[in-house]
Amino acid sequence: MAEQEEQKQITELDKPVPGVSGTGSAVALARQLHHECDRLLRLYKEKETFLGDLTPDGVRIVSLSPDSQGASTQQQVQLLHSALRQCLGLLHCLILKEEEEWGELEGDYETLKKIVRARLEYLLYTTKGLAETEDTTLEVTPDHQCNEETDGAGGVFGLKMWTYRVLLELIHWADHAAQTLHIYHTERGGSEEI
Amino acid sequence: MPRLGVSHSFKLKSNPVRLLCVLLGLLVIHTHAKDALPVPQQVSLSPNLYKQQLSISWLGGAATTFDLMILRTELNETAFYETVSATINQESGHHQWNWTSVEPLECTSLSIKIRSRDGQTTSEWSDTQILQGNDIPSNEKFQMYPQDRIVPVGANTTFCCIVEEGMVFGSIHYSVMVMNTIRLSRRTYAITALNQEPSDRTGTNVFCSDNLKTKFVERWCLLETRDLTSAVCRWNEGRDTRLYGKQRRTQYSLNMRYHIHTGKECSVDKWEDNWTLVAVNPLGQYSLSDSAELTHRVRPVAPANVTTVVNAWNATVLWQWKYESYSSLALVCQVELTSQESKTKRTSSGVGLRSVVLSDLYPDEDYSIQVRCGAQKNFWKWGNWSEPLAFKTNTDVPDVPDVWFWINKDNTGQVIWKPLTRRQSHGQITGYEVTLWTSDENIQHTDIFPAETSAAPINLTQIAAFSVDTKVTATVIAKNNKGVSQPASVLIPLHLTVCLLAVYTDRGFPLYWQGDANATCGYVVEWFDAFCSKNCLVEWIKVSAGLNNVFIESASFKPGVRYNFSLYSCSSEAPELLQRWQGYMQELVPSSSVSLLTSQQDFNVVLTWGEIPLVDIRGFLLGYNVYMSNGPQLTLLVFNPSVCLQGPLDVKSSPHSMVHIVERPEWDSSKEALVVIPEEDEDEEGQGIGEEPVDTDEPTSLRYYNQVVDERPIRPRFPDSSDSSASSLDSARTDVTYTGIQTSGSSLVFQLDPQGSSDTHRPLADLPVSCGGGGGGYRPQMQSRAHNDGFDLASPEPFQEPQGASSGGYKPQCSWHLDSPEDSGESAGLAPSLGSPTSVASTQFLLPDGEKHTEEKKHLSSSPATWFTNLLSSTKP
Repeated sequence: MAEQEEQKQITELDKPVPGVSGTGSAVALARQLHHECDRLLRLYKEKETFLGDLTPDGVRIVSLSPDSQGASTQQQVQLLHSALRQCLGLLHCLILKEEEEWGELEGDYETLKKIVRARLEYLLYTTKGLAETEDTTLEVTPDHQCNEETDGAGGVFGLKMWTYRVLLELIHWADHAAQTLHIYHTERGGSEEI
Repeated sequence: MPRLGVSHSFKLKSNPVRLLCVLLGLLVIHTHAKDALPVPQQVSLSPNLYKQQLSISWLGGAATTFDLMILRTELNETAFYETVSATINQESGHHQWNWTSVEPLECTSLSIKIRSRDGQTTSEWSDTQILQGNDIPSNEKFQMYPQDRIVPVGANTTFCCIVEEGMVFGSIHYSVMVMNTIRLSRRTYAITALNQEPSDRTGTNVFCSDNLKTKFVERWCLLETRDLTSAVCRWNEGRDTRLYGKQRRTQYSLNMRYHIHTGKECSVDKWEDNWTLVAVNPLGQYSLSDSAELTHRVRPVAPANVTTVVNAWNATVLWQWKYESYSSLALVCQVELTSQESKTKRTSSGVGLRSVVLSDLYPDEDYSIQVRCGAQKNFWKWGNWSEPLAFKTNTDVPDVPDVWFWINKDNTGQVIWKPLTRRQSHGQITGYEVTLWTSDENIQHTDIFPAETSAAPINLTQIAAFSVDTKVTATVIAKNNKGVSQPASVLIPLHLTVCLLAVYTDRGFPLYWQGDANATCGYVVEWFDAFCSKNCLVEWIKVSAGLNNVFIESASFKPGVRYNFSLYSCSSEAPELLQRWQGYMQELVPSSSVSLLTSQQDFNVVLTWGEIPLVDIRGFLLGYNVYMSNGPQLTLLVFNPSVCLQGPLDVKSSPHSMVHIVERPEWDSSKEALVVIPEEDEDEEGQGIGEEPVDTDEPTSLRYYNQVVDERPIRPRFPDSSDSSASSLDSARTDVTYTGIQTSGSSLVFQLDPQGSSDTHRPLADLPVSCGGGGGGYRPQMQSRAHNDGFDLASPEPFQEPQGASSGGYKPQCSWHLDSPEDSGESAGLAPSLGSPTSVASTQFLLPDGEKHTEEKKHLSSSPATWFTNLLSSTKP
């Protein structure tokens, strides 16, 4: 129920402003997501003190296909959509695993985590609307099996490290979404400033 | 020892001679005591990583106190050194002591040694045993212990961090607090969190970080020696400096004298205790130091020229050392022994060790070995493994076979033995030698059997003809190329007496018996299919003397098969049969009906039926129900589950009925049970009489019918009860069906087949005495006595079929319904399922008078077609 309310709230907040194009709205949405993901990581770092100076290795969990370099902007939005679906899957998995490990918690981090999930879902609907063509149907369901071993030898600490990596991944892809959608927006005649 | 010197010092002034005697006396006492104190042997370690507990066991003789020393192997620091009183395990004779470590056992390698102590007297130290930590060079990764440990508030916990190989330790944080660390080994650092406070919801994070600032220069440098003289220096490359070319690349020097131009390794002819590696490039320089005595950094080379001297049960492994200097070096060596089934490491030690005896090998077995050694004192690292060497142990004579016997009811039988396994054969078995002999020496006969044989035939009748002895001894010897096994003998009595009992429960047969004082060497319980008649599959188990029960389990037990279990005592005399049981894993309904025969004299009919084939009984046969069918009604003539009947039985048929006698069907055991004939409506049946062709006018009472009937080209007509048909023909029918089926495995005790029971149908020649001493009466689980009680044997009340089945004529299952109402739902189906709790029935038609009886006699000799023609002529108006 609370999540539905959050979703409703987000939906209200992010209704396209009259006069602003759909692409501009998408850019704003991605930036908002990036901002929230950033804050989510900060909250997590505060919660888990060990992360202060820690830098995980640079391997991405979600990655684009190597030939995405030469893709058109339209195709890049489609690829972005695909990456965001995987991010949504990771976030679903993260929420699930954290609840399994510690039960349902309360606090800013927990609340924001769910807001980010709803925001990400909304962004997926938006990118679907932008990039879907007659030949390409885009799904908005989470694209992740949630079956990897996050806590193998690392135990609970391993889960924390994995969580940290997922949050970094969300930041990366939210930022990537903002940039890609901005390019898409400007290519379609939108203003540089949003 | 210092105390001795002090306490006796004043006597030096007063009487030096006396003091000398005292000292000599003490010396003698000390020496004797030292001789008496054994050096602990077979020290073994068993770690419990979670509890951080190390269980140490050893053979310590009579000593009760021991000095226990535990060192951190790499730094040779003492982790524990105390005199302890160790408990002794009475069974193994090993002393045992548990040590709980403050640090997780994974943190670093530990060296453990023990010596016996008696007061001030101690033995030599035992060989050092090493519990390997996770900081060995081959395990390069970053690690931290313990992980996810749950401790009470206020507890102290020591955490250790094993730095990644080549990295430099930075710090350990406990939550946000930087902790003081101690170094446990080259790569391991530890902190202790004292009086811990409650953690946050997701626990307290303890994290270890390396020193990022040290990445500019090479990260580590190690010196070690292989030949006990020179030094080998190794280091790893750090972060890529991106400085290339002769003038820019990093230059290395060791102790400022040895300049290394290429590579990451150098050799120096002479060991020095302090080493400094300096790395210089245009951006600056960095130095790393390493200090160690030569004896602390010995990593032996691989043993060379490894050879073996092989026997059947052991082998000696010999090798040579490349360096003569090893001859004075105390070494600890591991021999990794690989066989087809296992891989083990055996550790030995000694000065200049060059050979190891591997005991407890198996003959005729392929093995492979590798050897590696380390310095026993100040262990540093294991040296290189030698090249693998394969060998095969010699053969030896086979083990003694496990022998038993089996006697058929015709007094023939087999001496049987369990085939020797590969581990028991000790070489390829070439054959078995079986000798039969009697003590009066009238019989002495030996036969040779090929290797794949596991039974030899015997004929007790023949033996008895030549000997007055009451027993014959069978001796079996296994042979291989090495020789022959010790003989295994079994005494076979020439006459057997038995008694029967039976039980079954819970996946096996628990058997109990009263102990027999004569069973000096225990018991043998054998079992086999009770209906197997010759050369049966016999299984057996030997039970120790003193035990009086055994639980028999076997994968070969099958439902519906009766098993005989026989208990024999073992003594120096012939085995004596003490007890015999019979039981079923699960009783099933008989899979065939009896063959039924009638003979009629006036209004009396004599029913005669034969045996059920033994394999078809499939349960303990308790008796027969005999029904007479007259029209749609079935009348129970005889019901007696407790007494098994076997014809003849006098049956009075209805004086108002015409009864037909049909010929005695010949049983065809190759066919399965019953044939289902489609049910017909009773009205239609009635209409059919006289209107439809006879061969299609199938009486409903034959819905379930004996196969033999089905084989006939034309079936007998079943007349209805109408006046018209009654005037010409009526029919009664008698069915013999079984009662009482044990539907599942049971532990019920029962009195097995007294007079006239199933055993009278199934003569068991080897069971001359029927078992009457089993205690309480047998009660099949499915029986519903409430219904059965309604069937008084004397009651003439006709048997009314259940309403739902009344239109269908006779159903053998209905008799089951009476016995087992709770099963009625399952048994209401048409198919005479062999596995369902449904008995099968045999049927005969009875003729009402002597005239017909004459006709029956005539019919018996006539063809079915003729018989049917006669019948037809009598039914047609």
